Amino acid sequence: MPFTDREILETVRMVELETLDIRTTTLGIDLLDCADPDLESACEKVYTKIVHHGRNLVAVANSIQNDYGVPIINKRVAVTPISLVAAASGSDDLVPFARAMDAAAVEIGIDFIGGFTAYVHKGFTRTDEALFASIPAALAETKRVCSSVSLATTRAGINMDAVAKFAAVVLETARRTAADGGIGCAKLVCFANPVEDNPFVAGAHHGIGEPETVLNVGVSGPGVVRSALARLGPEASLQAVAETIKRTAFKITRMGELVGREAARRLGTSFGIVDVSLAPTPAVGDSVADILELIGVDRTGAPGTTAALALLTDAVKKGGAMASSSVGGLSGAFIPVSEDQGMIDAVAMGALSLAKLEAMTTVCSVGLDMVAVPGDTSAATIAGIIADEMAIGMVNGKTTAVRIIPIPGKKPGDKHDWGGLLGTAIVQDPGRFSCEVLWKRGGRIPAPMQSYRN
Amino acid sequence: MAKRFLTADDVRRLGGPTIVIDRETVVTPQALETAASAGIAIRAEGGGAYTAPAPNRGPDAARAQHTLPQLPEPELAEGVGVVVTAVGKNRPGVLAEITAELARLDCDVRDISQRTVADFFHMVLTCAVPDGADFKSIKDTLQCLGGDDDFVVRVMHERVFRFMHRV
Repeated sequence: MPFTDREILETVRMVELETLDIRTTTLGIDLLDCADPDLESACEKVYTKIVHHGRNLVAVANSIQNDYGVPIINKRVAVTPISLVAAASGSDDLVPFARAMDAAAVEIGIDFIGGFTAYVHKGFTRTDEALFASIPAALAETKRVCSSVSLATTRAGINMDAVAKFAAVVLETARRTAADGGIGCAKLVCFANPVEDNPFVAGAHHGIGEPETVLNVGVSGPGVVRSALARLGPEASLQAVAETIKRTAFKITRMGELVGREAARRLGTSFGIVDVSLAPTPAVGDSVADILELIGVDRTGAPGTTAALALLTDAVKKGGAMASSSVGGLSGAFIPVSEDQGMIDAVAMGALSLAKLEAMTTVCSVGLDMVAVPGDTSAATIAGIIADEMAIGMVNGKTTAVRIIPIPGKKPGDKHDWGGLLGTAIVQDPGRFSCEVLWKRGGRIPAPMQSYRN
Repeated sequence: MAKRFLTADDVRRLGGPTIVIDRETVVTPQALETAASAGIAIRAEGGGAYTAPAPNRGPDAARAQHTLPQLPEPELAEGVGVVVTAVGKNRPGVLAEITAELARLDCDVRDISQRTVADFFHMVLTCAVPDGADFKSIKDTLQCLGGDDDFVVRVMHERVFRFMHRV
């Protein structure tokens, strides 16, 4: 027999009972050739190129799902940072680009499109500034467009002027989408050391080093890792835990490699990367917090949580690296608070504070993700939270991100349900002390010693 | 005229009665509308009305189509096309029902194993499928067997197992 019963049942169980899936197939499309001195023409080209290249994406993903029996949940598109595409138009209002992206996403049948993006870690071009100013309206007016900005890198340091501006953009976006619990901020993220081939929204965009078009795949499977650890039991040593996670990540990544190769072949494009990230959903069991608790902390946020998360992230990367030569993107473990039932429970019972979350982001693969704070949080405090996270990324040479949602009218401890994949937020307390002086100083935090490597 | 895109603005600027474009040029929907309302014909080089060209995915894509099939794959398990698993309540005729459907679909059962525990069973069949068979229709037909209170059938392509369990 070519496969043993055990192997076969293991795979079927992963898909049927443990919510293993291909979380996203993301087509990256370069839009630099859409630049035009005329704003209207530039938007026309943006719409046309996305539709021209993305038209078959959903059909191809569905055909692979049908042909292999592997669920492919999301189909998405990532485009060149719009601040680069829009520069030639000289326009101060870049919302028309967001409308063009949104319309194209509707036309090709996808739920999110990433790339309303600017790189400002060292400074602003005139178009970058226009893009920042356009973000609140763009996110309020469109449903599918996601925006991301780069505020810091290990090489450049942290642009604190950009951090302050971004904090204001976050508050304004929340205000404009107040009726929906500030949902615009769920489509808005800032980065230190952004990844140019990240297939996961909201940070997905098509970096300038990328080819004309590329197919990236994001695989997920917190449920699979959780079940494997549950079977391992609490007596096993941490080496056994790491080995179990590594083996499971290997298998998950292999499925991503298969789908990535096949999707690229069927679309007629190049295969970029497999991002093996444990990305939780609000579904019961599909939780990174559950994994941490199985590794051995009472509740996520208890002492030991950061150590457990470090083990998890590292083992996922190692398993992934053995399974595919194309592992990239963010690869590791995501900790989006509102999207993970285990995290929501931990916040609700007071186990997981904002400070502990920040500590966890030093070892997870992204950062403060889907964190809700009171709607009246000051711009200085939001800027401070972001600056802390950027500093972690800058000094440690890793990607960190902040997706923070000041929910209008909500106080610490209040609940808000966005529904669907975004889940339920419990508003967290950012504390009563602020950082007004730091916020007002402006300027740039210089690049750290680690950056001097030439 | 070699252009990546032909926009409405281009159409207004170039005017009619005919605009001849390069075969690779993509005409925006707005340009098509503008041309239609102004009575301007858009023709591809070498004659004929404009039809959208196949997407040019770039130089890397062309190379990838050549190199992707050359990437090493886990060794092929001879004669396996699909793996069928069934789980549910045991009763006489379950195996017959599934294999009869497989026979109707011209699938050759290469290996089979079945266990029963108390009133339940699970079954694994590996099957060869005829050349050129449509996986989706095989899968859909088999997965319609059984029911909520009876048994459930799942069908997956052998390549998934090969990638996951073989290197």
